[in-house]
Amino acid sequence: MTPLEYLIVGLVLAGVFFSFVAVVGIIRLPDLYTRAHATSKSDTLGTVLSLGGIALLFGAEVSAVKTVLLLLFMLITNPTAAHAIARAAHDQGIEPWTASDEEGD
Amino acid sequence: MPDTSSRILVPVGESSTFRNTVAYAVREARRIAAETGEESTVHFVYPVRWQLVDESERSAADAVADTLERARVWANDDLDYDDDGDLAAEDVSVSIETAVVGEDRYLFSPNDFAEVLLEYARDRGLDRIVLDPEYQPGGSAPMLQPLEFELARSGLVVEEAPVDRVVERGRLPSRANVSKALAMFGVSFGFYLLLAGVFDTFNLVTGAVSAGVVTAVFARISFVNTPSVTGTAARIARFLLYVPYLLWEIVKANFSVAYIILHPDLPIDPEMQRYRAAIWGDLSVTTLANSITLTPGTLTVDMDRDSLIIHSLTGSARDGLAGGSLERAVRFVFYGRSAARIPTPAERGTIASWTDDDQTDGDE
Repeated sequence: MTPLEYLIVGLVLAGVFFSFVAVVGIIRLPDLYTRAHATSKSDTLGTVLSLGGIALLFGAEVSAVKTVLLLLFMLITNPTAAHAIARAAHDQGIEPWTASDEEGD
Repeated sequence: MPDTSSRILVPVGESSTFRNTVAYAVREARRIAAETGEESTVHFVYPVRWQLVDESERSAADAVADTLERARVWANDDLDYDDDGDLAAEDVSVSIETAVVGEDRYLFSPNDFAEVLLEYARDRGLDRIVLDPEYQPGGSAPMLQPLEFELARSGLVVEEAPVDRVVERGRLPSRANVSKALAMFGVSFGFYLLLAGVFDTFNLVTGAVSAGVVTAVFARISFVNTPSVTGTAARIARFLLYVPYLLWEIVKANFSVAYIILHPDLPIDPEMQRYRAAIWGDLSVTTLANSITLTPGTLTVDMDRDSLIIHSLTGSARDGLAGGSLERAVRFVFYGRSAARIPTPAERGTIASWTDDDQTDGDE
């Protein structure tokens, strides 16, 4: 394997790791707002890293440029989507979970 | 009878019927003052859409002062002469006031505008609002009707000044001009060719046609202000400096979130905060809000008039936000190097924890 291939594998693995963290976060975190943290951050980085690996795999091609564009759009739309969901919840008056709620369980 | 009220509020802004609206309001005030013998008053109020903190916004502040001054001069002219052009009777007393409102918040929706205007009207005991039929406080977005609706809900008398309009309709959000069209065409054509990837005749022709259609449809909508080449280039250059910084912050954010999520005890301490950022303008607020969402443990939940509502996952995330490095970075991108040197949100006291008591009464 060439160093470039190592880099590609590393990026994709890191992407898979952060996507995995996002999934674990959605399962473990207590409420909608905290879960939105997991999806907006870990999921974005997971996707961006995987797409970055793919762009490197394409090399100097138009497809690589398109992949980078896709990556940029992910970077813009992911937080926007998380914001839209959190805002909808906030408008509905859903109370955020706080550390004091835990004692009640 | 409510429409004989002589305490009149007129929201002002640049428009083609501004002069006639002033004349109508003054005429009404004088007519009623003459009928009832009481003093009447006309307040010209300018709701500003931004906050006057930067040197670069001084010229905008001057423009506001200039508009109000013109309203005052015109109103005084109208007071001196009655409808027939004769000198007005001495015993009619009408007072003219001007004011700027909304400097301390971020006005965005018709609701926000209505709220500051009504607040002003309540404070001064004004009970009649005369609207300029071409009044466009939102800049590009048409908002006269929703504004009228919001104002009328308060129970005050709201009317559009019955003035002749020079232009009836057909004014899209902003006027098209050559540089807007060129910028729009350039961006769409460039993007088309980028996606096509091959610069042959077919792509060049279809790209030019598509970009032409896009330009014809969207050039008036996509840019509110005329894009300036140097200003945009400087912003893009500063934005390119911002991207690596943001990426680094994102990576840090992810490690801290990954640590929290995978930690057996799940050490979180979430809290909502209200944050009045010193950032104004649609694009820059969007950039800040998205950057906050992408960086350590903070998530933008809502934009509530003048402030962002932010949900933070841990205490250290809150400290990071109060440090204001992101705010400075966004100010650097959009307002330039000098604007980046401002006190942190913690020092300015514009960040506080958010509770239900803060729910504004305007929400139902």
